Amino acid sequence: MTSKKTVLNFSKAFEELEGITRWFDSQEQLDLDKGLKQFERGLELASELKKKLSEVENKVEEIKKKFADPL
Amino acid sequence: MTPSLSVSQYLELVNVSLGQMPRDFVIEGEVSDFRVAQGKWVSFDLKDEKDQALLKCFMTAWQLKTAIEDGMRVQVKGAPKIYERFGTFKLNVTDVEPVGEGALKRAYELLKKKLESEGLFDLSRKRSLPRFPERIGLITSRDAAAYGDFLRILNNRWSGVEILFHQVHVQGREAVPDILEAFAALGSLHRPDVIVLTRGGGGLEDLQAFNDERIARAIYASPIPVVCAVGHERDESLCDLVADVRASTPSNAAERVVPSREDVRYEVQTLCDHLFTKMEDALRERVTVIDEATRRVSFLLERQKERLARVSEDLVSGPEFWFSRLRERLASHERVLKELNPKRVLARGYSIVRSGGRVLTSVSTLEVGSLIQVQFAAGSAQAQVRRVNEKGQQTLV
Repeated sequence: MTSKKTVLNFSKAFEELEGITRWFDSQEQLDLDKGLKQFERGLELASELKKKLSEVENKVEEIKKKFADPL
Repeated sequence: MTPSLSVSQYLELVNVSLGQMPRDFVIEGEVSDFRVAQGKWVSFDLKDEKDQALLKCFMTAWQLKTAIEDGMRVQVKGAPKIYERFGTFKLNVTDVEPVGEGALKRAYELLKKKLESEGLFDLSRKRSLPRFPERIGLITSRDAAAYGDFLRILNNRWSGVEILFHQVHVQGREAVPDILEAFAALGSLHRPDVIVLTRGGGGLEDLQAFNDERIARAIYASPIPVVCAVGHERDESLCDLVADVRASTPSNAAERVVPSREDVRYEVQTLCDHLFTKMEDALRERVTVIDEATRRVSFLLERQKERLARVSEDLVSGPEFWFSRLRERLASHERVLKELNPKRVLARGYSIVRSGGRVLTSVSTLEVGSLIQVQFAAGSAQAQVRRVNEKGQQTLV
């Protein structure tokens, strides 16, 4: 299910980006090396998220009645 | 000979005949003397207001799908029967439906009160919805405007969602079993992140399925958070009250289950900007530290330089000052030494007397007749002592 993967990633990526922002806010004295790594990761996530936001499709799947459902 | 039957045989015969009666009708009347025994056995009388007719009714509590009370107008279905032991005629009721807006409203109020007292509406058990759902269960009728409204708003706002659509009747006899089946299937099989139950508005009679106790309980028992949206904003249903989130309309339900693309885009941008700011701040801070360190080091260097200059100056100008003081001191010593020169004393008229080469400062070692040498500033003479402290030869002058 491609759409599932997309949304799962979206949710996770968004949370990770929020996490990185929180991390930056919690640093009293920022470790520059670590900060730069986190910063790069944050930008990467943001660009992925923005890309996902440009996708347009929702998929409707009709659940068949119990008797007809092969499940 | 006329056949003879026992009472029970006769009643059995009557009951068989009663069982053959046509059933394709409902009996309408007003409820009175409504009772529930042991929480299981329901009995009430059905009366006609005008004709003073009375029908005793009996059913089990689980067959009673709606709340009723004395004075309520209802339609019932059932099978007539004579109970042998008491010889009473009763209707074994299978179905009770309140009739008319008044009765429906009353039944609704009663059921609402019951469910409320059981805690089905408690705010504390309301679950929050996932922020970015990946799969949404949709229970509604394709023919209803609600279906189109919901999907249109959903597509406007968000994308990448899989919608598991359950086609159901939203009113009529099939509505309740359809909806129950949809909940069962979604809850146990498909497991979406959120379930949306929706239909357009309508009268109390149209909304009956959404005020059904079984559906209210299905929502309550759903392992998945439920969003309920019935009709227009003014319509309230029991399903709305039990649901985790109550949306006012099908469109509003879409707004509640998915975020707006624009809002999220803005939020991502804000997070991104925040990261930039933080990083810039961190870098600027480092630059400031380096600047400060440079400033301090150059200050120290400057001070050392100043000290060096001062010391060199001292080295250059010092000896001159030092030598002149030394010269002065030497001159003064010279002067003192000159003052002390015995020759200068002799010049003032003093003489030095020696005896045997030793300078005499007292007469104690002199004897009359001994020789002494007298030295003057210019020249010297030898003399003989003739008298010492009044002793010796007196010379007459």
